[in-house]
Amino acid sequence: MQRRADNRAWFAVAPVVVVVAFTAIVPLMTVVNYSVQDIFDVDTRLFIGFDFYRETLRDPRFAQALLRQLAFSALVLAIEIPLGIWIARALVRNQGKSATGFLILLSVPLLVPWNVVGTIWQIYARPDIGLLGAAVTALGIPYNYASNVLSAWVTLLAMDVWHWTSLVALLSFAGLSAISPAYYQAATLDGANAWQTFRHVELPHLKAVLTIAVLLRLMDSLMIYTEPFVLTGGGPGNSTTFLSQYLTTMAVGQFDLGPAAAFSVLYFLMILLLCWLFYTSVMRGGDDG
Amino acid sequence: MASIQARDLRYTYRGATAPSVSGADLDIEDGEAHALLGASGAGKTTLLNLLAGLFFPDSGQLKLNGEDVSERSGRERNIAQVFQFPVLYPAMNVRENLAFPLRARGWRKANALARVKEVATLLDVTALLHQRVQRLSLFEKQLVAIGRALVRPDVSVVLLDEPLTAVEPSIKWRLRAALKTVQRELGLTMVYVTHDQVEALTFADRISMLMDGRILQTGSPQRLYEQPHTAVVATFIGSPGMNLVSAQVRDQWFVVAGQLLAPAPGVSDGVCQIGFRPEWAHVRVDRESDEQFALPVNLTGWRAMGAVGNRTDALLTLDHGGETLFVHQSGDEPPPPQCRLYIDTARMVAYRNGVLLARPTGNDAA
Repeated sequence: MQRRADNRAWFAVAPVVVVVAFTAIVPLMTVVNYSVQDIFDVDTRLFIGFDFYRETLRDPRFAQALLRQLAFSALVLAIEIPLGIWIARALVRNQGKSATGFLILLSVPLLVPWNVVGTIWQIYARPDIGLLGAAVTALGIPYNYASNVLSAWVTLLAMDVWHWTSLVALLSFAGLSAISPAYYQAATLDGANAWQTFRHVELPHLKAVLTIAVLLRLMDSLMIYTEPFVLTGGGPGNSTTFLSQYLTTMAVGQFDLGPAAAFSVLYFLMILLLCWLFYTSVMRGGDDG
Repeated sequence: MASIQARDLRYTYRGATAPSVSGADLDIEDGEAHALLGASGAGKTTLLNLLAGLFFPDSGQLKLNGEDVSERSGRERNIAQVFQFPVLYPAMNVRENLAFPLRARGWRKANALARVKEVATLLDVTALLHQRVQRLSLFEKQLVAIGRALVRPDVSVVLLDEPLTAVEPSIKWRLRAALKTVQRELGLTMVYVTHDQVEALTFADRISMLMDGRILQTGSPQRLYEQPHTAVVATFIGSPGMNLVSAQVRDQWFVVAGQLLAPAPGVSDGVCQIGFRPEWAHVRVDRESDEQFALPVNLTGWRAMGAVGNRTDALLTLDHGGETLFVHQSGDEPPPPQCRLYIDTARMVAYRNGVLLARPTGNDAA
């Protein structure tokens, strides 16, 4: 009797199960379904197992896009995290009314829609009429993001840094503001220099927010699509074609749904793996922060 | 270690209308445990920050070992500080935390570790040396923080800003005892800020009592307890504070409620207040003798406070013409509502306009 009454409580969970099933599990399983079958038309399909996965992994264009993607994400993190911390420290040092103003200014790029960001930079960096592009060209530096690979990468990185560094800065600012002045006083009296104060006081206290910042930037940069699509369209050549754009070309452009599905599953697993690796390696270090 | 002389220190926070420290004089000897006692807002933490070199005085002078350090930073003054909550480097273990002040000053590793071992032995934290600081209890963390303040042998003054606030009440005494032991053994000059008079009275060689940015009195715990300079100090120190009864001086005698209480040689006629601690008086029903002064009082409360030997120690609340008085007395039963109060006139003190009236009682030396 008692046990039966308990089991009825499962019905209370049913709505959530249904919602999650239709928003996450069913679409994901659909993709998995496509990735293991070769479909010719509605009635003609052939189960082919992992053939599409093998094909994807052997595809040199996939490998190239993956390398570009990893390089892009690594560069983005390497620039945005230190820069964001540096900005946040400068803001905390000069607290007062100006800090609030700067914080508001900083967060403006976060509010701009992604395709607008791409459009802004597409115009801003144009060598003929763009303020930045024309200025750089006037200085005699060969610069054209539409034809030069280096220019395209630099512009893309600058755009992402402009767009997202403020997220890191805002999170770090919150983390730094939470450090009691006593820690700084103690470090000063202990004879710590500026680097030691940063290394032993600020950085450990920022661990939690920086973990979040790195995770967000890692995930987002691995999934970047809109901005390079608007700015360079993946070019020149395929030099700025990252995973998501390659995937879109495959699925929407060439209508290769099977290989694209296999690609999607691999892409998803890769992001999951990278984030998991990062998170567990950070958290294994201890529960401080 | 160093002695401290402060002369007329003044400090006003930016934007504040009243000064937080207004004319503080402080003389602390080398190797002395000194407490700054006062309620919140009395200016004791501001004074400590002036000593720490975190703020610089608007005016006045601060000397360490006779050397003027008013304009120098805390690092140049070679100060060490312990804070209200344990301030440790979170990514280091206990040993690294303790060694940091030495390593940051260029000590060689072997020497630093030898010194860390000494301090750890002194504070009985040797077993914790390899632990990460996150794993420690609040008590252990604060012990390590104290250790980090003591690790430099050449430190001039150790400042402690209410260091027991965060520690559980039941083990506060352990930390206080550890602190007192190392203070004595190493001959450290310590300045200890607290609002808790029990802490101040049990820890310090001398206490400075602060109120409204001023030092009201500096003296030994016994002196602050028995001969408070002002009525304010008298009522602040003690739990409950000193009893004050309205009185008069007439023909060199203290007169309370029309009765002669005690001689007041050399005191001019006028109103005053008689002060006595709750344990400097006792209550009886009957007259002890016709000559002796006895104040008629009404009993309004009786509360058992604990036991002394096999008798109950009780706190009596008494009413005397609208003035509430407290008396500590042992006895298992409350006395009847109407009774008489006998005051130990050898120990009692007197105040006029809130200031102690000098009485030639003999033990008036500082």
